This record gives sequence, C-alpha cells and structure tokens, in this order.
Amino acid sequence: MLPTMDSLGLIREFLHNRLGVPSERVVADAALVSLGVDSLMMLELMFEFEDRFGITLSKDLKSPKTVGDMTALMDRLRQAKG
Amino acid sequence: MTQRRVAITGLGLVSPFGGDLPDFFARLLAGESAVHFLQTDDVPRPLAIPFVSCPGFDADAELGKPLAGTMDRFAQLGTAAAYRAWQDAGLSRGQPAESRENWGVSWGTALGGTLAYEKGYKELWIKGRERVSPLSVILGMNNAANAHISIQLGLGGVSMSHTVACASSAIAIGEAFRRVRSGEAPVMLTGGSDVPQAYGVARAWEALRVMANCDEKTAAQACRPFSAERTGLVLGEGGAALVLEDWEHAVARGARIHGEMVGYGTTCDHSHLVRPDAAGQVRALNMALADAGLTPADIDYVNAHGTATAEGDPVEIAALRTVFGEAAARLAVSGTKSMHGHQLGAAGAIEAIITVLALREQAIPPTAHLGEPDPACAGVDHVGSGRPQQLRAALSNSFAFGGSNAVLAFRAVTP
Repeated sequence: MLPTMDSLGLIREFLHNRLGVPSERVVADAALVSLGVDSLMMLELMFEFEDRFGITLSKDLKSPKTVGDMTALMDRLRQAKG
Repeated sequence: MTQRRVAITGLGLVSPFGGDLPDFFARLLAGESAVHFLQTDDVPRPLAIPFVSCPGFDADAELGKPLAGTMDRFAQLGTAAAYRAWQDAGLSRGQPAESRENWGVSWGTALGGTLAYEKGYKELWIKGRERVSPLSVILGMNNAANAHISIQLGLGGVSMSHTVACASSAIAIGEAFRRVRSGEAPVMLTGGSDVPQAYGVARAWEALRVMANCDEKTAAQACRPFSAERTGLVLGEGGAALVLEDWEHAVARGARIHGEMVGYGTTCDHSHLVRPDAAGQVRALNMALADAGLTPADIDYVNAHGTATAEGDPVEIAALRTVFGEAAARLAVSGTKSMHGHQLGAAGAIEAIITVLALREQAIPPTAHLGEPDPACAGVDHVGSGRPQQLRAALSNSFAFGGSNAVLAFRAVTP
C-alpha cells in the first residue's frame, strides 16, 4: 500500500504553487472547487499527476470532487501501476 | 446617424521605466532611454540584443496568483495595463450600478502567447516529452488578453483582438473609437500588449537584419529614428491601455477627460510585404484628417512610427511632406521609440498614450539621440529635445509589415 501522504503532498504542493492555497486548507473533505480548482486547473492537476507518477489517465475519467476523492484516485492508479 | 464625441478618460501602461504614468512621460520629456542590453542563458547561442523590458512587473502581485497562472506574459501585461487604465478612469471592478453588457474590449497583439508556444516546443523537442501543458492553448491564443480583460472587468459587449503586426493596437484603438462614436458602445477598453523575447521570435527579427547595432555600453542610445547614424530598431515588451468613452457619459459621471479622439484612418499599401509605400501612408493620413474634420494646418505634432530602419523612416517623412505640403516645415515630429523601443503590437497604444499626454501637458517628447538628421528625412521640424509647445491637435502613426497603415487623430481638451 502506498502512503496516502505522497498523493496528498502533490496536491498540496500544486495548489500552493499555482493558486497560493495554504496547505492546511487542503484536507480530505475539502471540495476542490472551493480551493479554486476549476475545470482548467483540474486538467493541469491531472497533467501534473500523470507527469509526476508516470501514469496515463483515460480521457473519460470522471473528475473527483474532493481532495479525498482525488487522493484515493491517485493512490488507486499508482497501486495498479505497481 | 448622429456621431458621438469620444473622450479619453483612462490611460494605463506597464512602464519600461518601472514607475507610474507621470514618471513615464517625465522621463520621455527628459530624453531618457529605457533600452538596455539583454543577454540570455539560452544554449547554444544566447540572445545578446538591445531590448526594453518592464522592470519590477510582478504579475502574481498585481493580478493574483491564480489568474496570473492562466496567462502568458503578454496577457499579464495587457490585463495589468487595463486595470491601471480602468482605475485611472475612475471605473469600478466590482458590481457596477449600470449595465455593462454593451461595453467592450478591442485589443492589439502582433504575437500573442509566443512564450507559451515556445515552452511547448522546448518540452517536446528538447526535453523529449510527449505532451505539453493542457493550458497551452488558452495561454497562447491571440485573444487571451482581451478575453481576460472582458471577464475581469465584467464587460459584455464585443471582445476582439487585432493582429496587424506593428499597427495592431493602433487599429484596435481605431476600431474601438468607431464603436463609441457610432453609439454602439458607451465605453471601450482598448490597447495592446506584446512580448517579443521568445527566443525564436527574437532570432527571427535578427534574421531580418533590421535590429540596431550596439553593445552593452551603447545600448541605451541604440535606437535613433530619422538620424543619419541610425542602424535599426530595438524590440521591447509592453502593455498599454486606454478607456474611450462617450463624451456625454463621461461628463455625466464627472470623469476626468485627458483628451478627445477625433479621427482614424487605415489603409493598405497593397504593394509589398515589408517595403513601405508613401502613397498608402498618405491615404491613411488624409483619411484620419478627413475623419476628424481637421486640415493639415490644425495639426501641431505627429508622433511618428519612426522605427529607425533604413527604409521606413524616409518613407514616413515623405508621406508627411506630401500631406502637409508647405506646412510640413513647421510640423513637430518625434520618434519616441528612441526611448521606449518597439513593442510591436503594443507600440500603437503606447504612442497613442504619449500623444494624448503631449496634448494634455502641452509638451513634446523628443526623438532622443537624433544627432544629425538624415537628409532623406528632412522637411519637417524634428524635435531633438523635449520642449513645451502649444498643441491643438496631434496624430499618431503606426505603419506595419504587410503594408497596413493606421493613423489616429487626437485633440487637446481646453480646460
């Protein structure tokens, strides 16, 4: 099992660098849209995730709604990759 | 149809000197140059060219980090200039009391988001990656600046970009002027922005052999329009914006009026892509004068296109001699690119602002480093030093590759 913090850390780093969101606001039940992640920023976040972990997301992937959904998705895909 | 008078109620730019608008104009009057020598760390061959930057411009601080992150630098400079012009006009960025659904934006850019595209090329071809950022399209698109400005200022009317090389923002201003004058829009935010320091873009300009010769010590004096010793142009980045407003609308809300825009002429040489033709410029000048209801005798100053190229400068002066006839000898002309450089699609807007300020302040900024004028550029009153002068009306010329010409006419407002 991969540590959840790695995925959460990436999201926190991304949101801090791109949107100036403080890390303490990036918690599991926080809605991504409330942190400023609109559809464009979600594309960028997905891109960063793919880039960082060497994963390719399918085009019809449903966008996660919360930070928790996002970390769960990342962890699942990273684990599947091995 | 009754034509509306067009007031200029807002001026804003990201200054190449780093200060505010009064500082910018004061430095121009003093003949101060913003040109420096740009040396990059690109490999294998760094850029080493005279250039004009916008020192101290902090897009994150001015626009907010989330917004700035969705913009290429040309849109950042443009939106910042628009904010400054909007503030200067005394207009709010919050929820307005009156509808702004027919207020619009008309913007000029020659290059658009070339830095975003170049970054993508580097990722693909140098770093060997298979993909580029998903924001590349919206960063690079030529209408990014006007789209961001419309969104941020809440303007629901026309939002358009004009890409006409070095005349881009002059044409953008002219088209905005027509919309206000016709009554189609009570307010138009207009101007232009460009960022020509993408490596491939700067190299492309070098390849044209039109860039000024200089080294680190001589860079500040590298651009010398109309001089016998001119060697070429100096590129620069920049963003500049004006608020054009229905005169009665401006008066009703008690806005400060910097000047009046009274005419616009635009033509094409239809002869050659890069060799200018005086006949096309003459038609644009005459069109602007007729549009303004002015005669050559009414014009006291022309802010020239004056890029300091071997071919362009004499043709522009020949066009002025043709239009102004005997009055040409007393016509004050200056090429302010000698100090602020050539911002391509932003140049027309920067020079429109300078022309409006000259009328407002009753003072003419010079062609710096003029020295001995080229005899081929004789026949007008070349302003070699900044000076006070009574000015009633003035023109701003922008003549572009492709043979597109734009002339803007402004009149001083009597206090």
